[in-house]
Amino acid sequence: MKWMLFGPETYIFLVAFFFLILSMWRGPHSEKDHVLALALSGLGVVISLACLGAEGLLFAGAYRLDLFSQVFKVALSFGLFLIVCLCANVEEIKRRYRLEFYFFLFVCTLAMMLLVSAQHLLTILLALELSSYSLYILVTLRRDEDMGLEAGIKYFLTGIFASSIMIFGMALLYGATGAVYLQDLAQVLPEVMGTPAAVIGLLLTFGGFFFKLAVYPFHFWVADTYQGAPDQVTAYIATASKVAVIAVVIKLIAAVDQNSTYLIHVLAVLSIASMTLGNLAAMVQKDMKRLLAYSTIAHSGYVLIGILSGGTAGYASAVFYALALLVMKFTVFLVVVVLSPRGKNLEREELAGLHGRSPLLALALMVSIFSLAGIPPTIGFMGKFYVFMGAMDKGLFVLVLIAMINVVVSLYYYLLIIKAAYLGHSWETPPAVHLPQPMRWLTGALIATMMVAGFYPTPLIRLSEAVARSLM
Amino acid sequence: MIFYLTGGLIVASTAMAITRRHMVHAVIYLLFSFFGTAILFYLLGAPLLAALWVIIYAGAIMVLFLFVVMMIRTDATEEVMFPLNQWLPAAIFGAIYMAVGAAVVLMTPGTEVALPLMAGSPREFALYVFQNHWLSIEIVSLLLLVALVGAMSLGRGKGRDRTEDEA
Repeated sequence: MKWMLFGPETYIFLVAFFFLILSMWRGPHSEKDHVLALALSGLGVVISLACLGAEGLLFAGAYRLDLFSQVFKVALSFGLFLIVCLCANVEEIKRRYRLEFYFFLFVCTLAMMLLVSAQHLLTILLALELSSYSLYILVTLRRDEDMGLEAGIKYFLTGIFASSIMIFGMALLYGATGAVYLQDLAQVLPEVMGTPAAVIGLLLTFGGFFFKLAVYPFHFWVADTYQGAPDQVTAYIATASKVAVIAVVIKLIAAVDQNSTYLIHVLAVLSIASMTLGNLAAMVQKDMKRLLAYSTIAHSGYVLIGILSGGTAGYASAVFYALALLVMKFTVFLVVVVLSPRGKNLEREELAGLHGRSPLLALALMVSIFSLAGIPPTIGFMGKFYVFMGAMDKGLFVLVLIAMINVVVSLYYYLLIIKAAYLGHSWETPPAVHLPQPMRWLTGALIATMMVAGFYPTPLIRLSEAVARSLM
Repeated sequence: MIFYLTGGLIVASTAMAITRRHMVHAVIYLLFSFFGTAILFYLLGAPLLAALWVIIYAGAIMVLFLFVVMMIRTDATEEVMFPLNQWLPAAIFGAIYMAVGAAVVLMTPGTEVALPLMAGSPREFALYVFQNHWLSIEIVSLLLLVALVGAMSLGRGKGRDRTEDEA
């Protein structure tokens, strides 16, 4: 039965619709809705896991299912589940929009699932737009209306600008090659790689994705959007949406990159620029969400190194890094969401004395920050190590050297956070943080995941390699 | 002959549309221009496209424009001539385009290629779209739904909202 292949997407679609109808049926009922969303998104993870082995082509070849897409679908539904875990207390979102909030969250995840499987340029474009539009609206749902609207409009205006650039690029690409399916593109492109239309088209097409990934020349929306969006939405943009975009960039590069040194040079320049800019700008940030936004830009630079190294090893390292980012970014955001004062963003100084208020959260923050910085033995260290190894094998020594310098630079602001949490003293002692029992388990599980994968990453590396091979 | 007549009509009505100071008048002239375009499509052998053009552009979008114009109710702005440095670059680029266009026509006479007429009945068109691209169409429909729900959540009044939040 071919329809079974489409299982996770159909399921998420139905859940999204269920929430839409529910929002018309009755008003929001915070706790009930949250339990419902939690259960439904949990079931979504199970269904995506069950469809892990699905393979085949659907919709006249526009939709391809293989290990690559299925693993990313599991990662996305897992990311959705984690974000829903954080939504127990969505103080930041206006009460009446809470059901619509889940609707947009599920639709966005559906769009990203479609994105990782899409093979037709048109389908890729539309899926990307669907996820973007859901995010634009999610960003504006903040209770503090002006803040949310400002962030949303900034995101929207830059987003449609990037989309139009991408559409123009795709049109040029189609004009130069006459191909709309990625597999056709891979065959035709090497012949026309010398023509200006193909090169410009390719660069503009990637521009749209680099906007989503927050790579250097397209990064300016990140800080404002992260700052203005509700915390849960920021966490979603930083984790699940980044994973989806990394997946589609890997897929596109793998399709068009026939050892063209030109493309590699462009990517290398972008990667160096985003790492350096992200890390330097993060140093001076006081607002935790802005800080994490700039660190996201830097991490996009590291991922690009993996992607541009190419080959099975390069793509596998990028996949590994994407999965690692999902876990470690989410853990940081968990701490931020729990600690955020009502209606305001968390400042770095407000972390002071966290160790006394909640040792578990302080530990989670320390492990995830060490992981982001790339200190062993954490999953983040293995990710960086693996990416740099892949690049060294390709002889990109200078690039790795610059990346290493960047890692050292980033240590400065990462350690400042930990210093604030462990050594900082606040004048008035804020009350101890109360964490409900399930959240404690979740935090513990995340810490354990990051540590275990740091000590024993072999299964995850095997998985990433298998994923990368299914792409070639 | 009808072709050139319609073409002239379109250019004239569009020119009127962009020079009117009163927004409603401008919209009405634009409506004429859209009807002219629809006639052009019909002449070129695309009745479906002509019908869609009238329904979507002249029907739906123009009415929407009219509504927006009436709701905003802008006062007619007074006559202002743009400063020279604003319209000069535009005029220069326009002149370059005209020169290039004239050169293309004059330099290579006799190389015009008639486009092969691609006539498709609505039925064939629909079959093609729904057989090859129906996933994309479903995504588009979902996109429109998201836009609708989003517009509703954003458009609901501020005042009512606050009272409900406090309640």
